[in-house]
Amino acid sequence: MVVIGGGLAGMRAAVEAAEGGADVAIISKMHPVRSHSGAAQGGINAALGNREEDSTTAHTFDTVKGSDYLADQDAAAAMCDDAPKQIIWLEHRGCIFSRLPDGRIAQRPFGGAGTPRTCYSADVTGLVILHTLWEQLERFGVKVYEEYFCTALAVDDGVGSGVVAYNMRNGDLELVTAKATIFATGGAGRMYLKTTNGYASTADGMGIAYKAGIPLMDMEFMQFHPTTLKENGVLMTEGARGEGAHLLNALGERFMFNYAPNKGELASRDVVSRAEWTEILAGRGIDGCVLLDMRHLGREKILERLPQIRELALDATGKDAIEEPIPILPGAHYTMGGIETDKWGATRVPGVYAAGECANVSVHGANRLGGNSLLETIVFGARSATHALDYIKKIGDVKPSEKTLANERDRVGALLARTGGTRAPALRRAMNETMSANTFIFRDDAGLAKAVDDVTLVRKQFDEDAYVMDKSKTFNTDLVGAMETDFLIDASLALAAGARARTESRGAQARTDYPERDDANWLKHTLAWRQPAGPPRLDYSRAVTITEFDPQVRTY
Amino acid sequence: MAKITLDIFRFDEATDAVPHRDAVVVDVPETTTVLDALETAKAEIDGSISFRRSCRSAICGSCSMNINGITGLACKTPCNTVMDEKGVVVVDPMPNFQPMKDLVVHMDPFWDKYSRLKPYLQPADADSTHERERRVSPEDMKKLVDVANCIMCATCYALCPVVSVDPAFAGPAAIAYAYRFIEDVRDGQRKERIAQISEDYLWLCAHCYACSYCPKHVDPHDRIIDVKRASIKDRVLMNERGPRHALVVSKTIKQTGMLAETEVIQGTIGRFNVRGLLKVAPLGLRMAAKGKMPPPFVKPIPKVDEVRTIFEALEVPVS
Repeated sequence: MVVIGGGLAGMRAAVEAAEGGADVAIISKMHPVRSHSGAAQGGINAALGNREEDSTTAHTFDTVKGSDYLADQDAAAAMCDDAPKQIIWLEHRGCIFSRLPDGRIAQRPFGGAGTPRTCYSADVTGLVILHTLWEQLERFGVKVYEEYFCTALAVDDGVGSGVVAYNMRNGDLELVTAKATIFATGGAGRMYLKTTNGYASTADGMGIAYKAGIPLMDMEFMQFHPTTLKENGVLMTEGARGEGAHLLNALGERFMFNYAPNKGELASRDVVSRAEWTEILAGRGIDGCVLLDMRHLGREKILERLPQIRELALDATGKDAIEEPIPILPGAHYTMGGIETDKWGATRVPGVYAAGECANVSVHGANRLGGNSLLETIVFGARSATHALDYIKKIGDVKPSEKTLANERDRVGALLARTGGTRAPALRRAMNETMSANTFIFRDDAGLAKAVDDVTLVRKQFDEDAYVMDKSKTFNTDLVGAMETDFLIDASLALAAGARARTESRGAQARTDYPERDDANWLKHTLAWRQPAGPPRLDYSRAVTITEFDPQVRTY
Repeated sequence: MAKITLDIFRFDEATDAVPHRDAVVVDVPETTTVLDALETAKAEIDGSISFRRSCRSAICGSCSMNINGITGLACKTPCNTVMDEKGVVVVDPMPNFQPMKDLVVHMDPFWDKYSRLKPYLQPADADSTHERERRVSPEDMKKLVDVANCIMCATCYALCPVVSVDPAFAGPAAIAYAYRFIEDVRDGQRKERIAQISEDYLWLCAHCYACSYCPKHVDPHDRIIDVKRASIKDRVLMNERGPRHALVVSKTIKQTGMLAETEVIQGTIGRFNVRGLLKVAPLGLRMAAKGKMPPPFVKPIPKVDEVRTIFEALEVPVS
């Protein structure tokens, strides 16, 4: 079994596979502890009920409501039901969670949640879980092919048979045989100019699966996090508001209660981001921002529970959150869309799985709740490996065709052989600009049509003219960056095309020309199938699975 | 906007016998981080400039490098805090590592130091005896949270002069990680872990404080002291020279207010370790010939009680 990506989902899958007796390896373009999962700050949801009475049903309901009823409810229930067990699993393996005075795991309130359900470790929750899982890799001796960049999926006789990976240390392309392949490559925030995501969040797994004929689902739903720094897009955790921080406009008003009379700052992220942007557009912002005010929490609480974001804000803005409010604005954060899977992480191609942010299970639907992304990585990392363990016992040997390797050698060879043209950073910039201008919080047909056209043009330019300047075989990040840009272009085009076709407003997609949610026509998923040129073919054959919770009007 | 010159170490291990330097000028706001300046240089001027980076928010630990001769995270270092009056910033790969390409180094020896720790919780009791989480007090957890902020960026390892002379030394980061398990009340291998890190040359640390410069305020140097104390408190490998040396130094100072060098040598090597003492005998003879032989006995200084009071206040363990 091979797992592509060494973040939380990938490592959780690999540990489950190793404990289940599989010969498993991780292929990752970075050392696992460098993964962007480590930047997750606020926490991970589970109905432990350590502070207030809670239930997995309540968690499922909050998740479904948060999704604006686009989540598949069986998948959301599977995640929320498994959550307490997975948190205990992590704790038993040493995860350093913050504690209540009686020694149980501490939980904090988060947006869109009915009870304090978010387990955390100060504001470095992703980092401590990342380390716990890396420790388990060490424990089980899981082989990590570190600084190998996966470039293609091999599908032979209709089943996944392995991958091609580029060894960044020496420039070799290698064919890897695997009965089961699990993609766990994270998100695609780098489609946008400003994002909380690190440089590595470049839609790799999405792009690879998409090229291999697996559809991407609901790509139009991109989460814009309400509290990011204007200077560099860096995240200020929702945990700040969970601990009681306020959002203020230029008039000093806590404006959120005008938009979410009950929950205020702790409404779901789509609601808060839209409210902020509305305030800014109405002229009640300050230099294009609103303010995140933590002062009343006091020095001690900020230093105990939010030390990382205090320092990040200080470094980027020179402002100390203990003494003054921090200017923030919404920024691209989380890719709800991704590789279409079932509730076991299995794609339409047997032997190929996806877990974590690169996958769309779908548990987040049109809007993810804070604290559910880390949970998804853990639950579906484990579940995809469980399914794959069963699958690899049933099938015989697989042999990936040498043709896949030859194709990749040709493709990479052609990129390196070109002696002039447009460099990938310039192409990426063009894509970023149109995505940020036309597919941001408020969307309309004209803007989305422009985004589709612009990115289609970038696609064409990339295919005909992309130029890699560095010809070295050693650690060629110019080449890897170009291949990442290739994947981002595909993801962007799927996003823009899906957003344009969906003529309604739901969750993170707000159409000014179609401001209402349209359950009669749109309780269905968008499946995007890659076309060799131009925008994807869209298909709506997959309806939303509704089990317990009928769609209701959504207010916070 | 300011014109900033990046003076960059260039090297490709596959093709270059020796490194060279390139000066690349970028037009960026002077508050731009060194990482963003490098990113601009790569995107706009020379695509072959190579460095590791990911999160650009000081949490992934990828971009540690030497900036004007001092190791630190490029994403946490604004250009205007390091450039000279001509706007030059000098960037080199981390020392104590083999360069691979430009600012990218071979990290494997650093990861190996962690692997040797068996860096995973080995609980004292079976998981199955706990239906829920193991209870840990907030105070006990706080000790670990402070160390958990370590992002394994290797800044401390690159700054460590002991690593530079003895690559077998575990280094500050791994010792801090060992502390994370040693102080975890859930773990059942405290003594074994202390023994392991002692064997990985814990006691070679010279307490130069170079590793106190930590971008995440983990302060590995203080953790090294904590682990040494734990070693003495739990009486692990007490016959090794490291703990013997620490104890005899403390003892002579507490007794006399002075460092009684003769006793320190005997105490460190062992009064009855004839072979060990013979090994240092030539040094002793040379010192005697130059009139540098310390006196065999040291008389306590006046008011030695005050020194003893300091020891008691600090609760320094003395056997």
